[in-house]
Amino acid sequence: MNETVLKMDDVDFSFGEQKVLEGIDLNLLPGERMALVGPNGSGKSTLLKLALGAYRPDRGRIFLFNTPLRQFRDWSRIGYVSQKANSFNQAFPATLREVVASGLYGKLGLFRWMKERDWHRVDAVIEQAGLAELAHRNIGELSGGQQQRAFVARALVGDPDLLVLDEPTVGVDAPSVDHLFRLLADLHREKGISLLLVTHDIETAKPYVDRVVRLNRRIAFPGNDEKRKPMQVVEG
Amino acid sequence: MKKGGEGCGPAASSVMIDMILTYDFMQRALIAGLVIGIISPMVGLFLVVRRLSLIADALAHVTLSGVAAGLLLQKQFPAFQTFNPMISGMMFSLTASVFVERLRQWYRSYQELAIPVILSGGIGLGVVLISAADGFSVDVAGYLFGSILAVSPSEIGAIIGAGVLVVAVILLFYKELFALSFDEESAMFAGIPRRSINILFGLVVALVITASIRVVGILLVSGLITLPVAAAMQLASGFKKTLFLSILFAQVSVFCGLAAAFYLDWASGGTIVLVSVLILLVVGGGKRLIRRVLRSGNGVRRRDAS
Repeated sequence: MNETVLKMDDVDFSFGEQKVLEGIDLNLLPGERMALVGPNGSGKSTLLKLALGAYRPDRGRIFLFNTPLRQFRDWSRIGYVSQKANSFNQAFPATLREVVASGLYGKLGLFRWMKERDWHRVDAVIEQAGLAELAHRNIGELSGGQQQRAFVARALVGDPDLLVLDEPTVGVDAPSVDHLFRLLADLHREKGISLLLVTHDIETAKPYVDRVVRLNRRIAFPGNDEKRKPMQVVEG
Repeated sequence: MKKGGEGCGPAASSVMIDMILTYDFMQRALIAGLVIGIISPMVGLFLVVRRLSLIADALAHVTLSGVAAGLLLQKQFPAFQTFNPMISGMMFSLTASVFVERLRQWYRSYQELAIPVILSGGIGLGVVLISAADGFSVDVAGYLFGSILAVSPSEIGAIIGAGVLVVAVILLFYKELFALSFDEESAMFAGIPRRSINILFGLVVALVITASIRVVGILLVSGLITLPVAAAMQLASGFKKTLFLSILFAQVSVFCGLAAAFYLDWASGGTIVLVSVLILLVVGGGKRLIRRVLRSGNGVRRRDAS
């Protein structure tokens, strides 16, 4: 089997009685950039959470880097930028640098401390995100766009192979969105990082992704599996 | 124990140093205050940023029922005559801390519901136990409002032990606690063991509360846990700086409380909390005043320039 970054195989999921996702087949290949689009309530964010193991599917199988999800432990290979990034506790008394550093904590593991080279890594990522002069400011003092870039930096600091972004453009001004996508494009070019992003703003994302998958409540039309259901793929 | 109205000024402090060197109870009060002034804001900061400050209150009230249960045992059974009711108080609050976490999971969208459930349950049981015992020979008010000068030799050992344990846990799990407090979901996806860390933290909070009750009392414990943090958050930038500043504020409050108890015979817990409120008001008011002055200064300059 060729390596897939994320593979979902005939996955069903429901919240109580309500079916949210049904018969989902999805393959994300190494280095591929995929956008999941669909209206509100189409199950986009739920799909991400299933893929990251926050929910358990009713049926079907999910693999991360060819490992069945329930046995997957290598979480540092995945960076996650949540939708809630813009509605976090704005008064949280932490500097941008402290927030970005927290992206390394899972990877470091219990009873290991930040070493000097870890802090170098933190500063390098902050620099890459164009936030160097704001490193010692409290996170709540930054603009929505700067905060979003800070959260992307936090997801990137552990050097992941897959970056998952849930609605990264919500509540972010246009120049920051542009900056964000250029940053993602650079990362993809330099490191071949895979991207899985959920968005309702397909026009902005389209030039920066390889594949757009439309999701509507129950059925996704996957991109590259010929035998499956009909495809609605927009090539970026 | 009235020694005049010096408060915590410099002349008073030299007298107090003499007293500390002379009297064991003063040494114990000082050590207890020092330890509590470190560990209370330490856990308080994590509680405040997670919007769970009231959990401290809930667990303190459960501790009351534990203390009452201990006193009842002491009264009813000769074998428990030397039993320290703080031990049963601690056992009750440790148990309750696990339940808080469980209740938070039950009511995911109303997580604060766990607090009134535990709080009223705790105080209800406490009151029933006290009435069932038909009153106690010891002063329950001491547990409610704290008396720093009455810390016994056996209690000081327990307070130091709790202090060491709490500092060790917070330092060892600082990374995980920070990540979970800032963004629980992302921390979970980064592989941080959410449930076990949360339970461990709940146990630590229960430990801090039990240790603090002697100094500030059940009704005021949450004040010492949250007020210094609230003041520090007005000033500091960054999490570590906020932590150090809140410890500093807590120490100032505790020593003023100790001085007031010693010189004026005031309730230590009440004074500690009042000084904390005062620090909060001065810091918050001062910050706004400075900002206003700076802003009007800029306005004048701008007008001059135009």
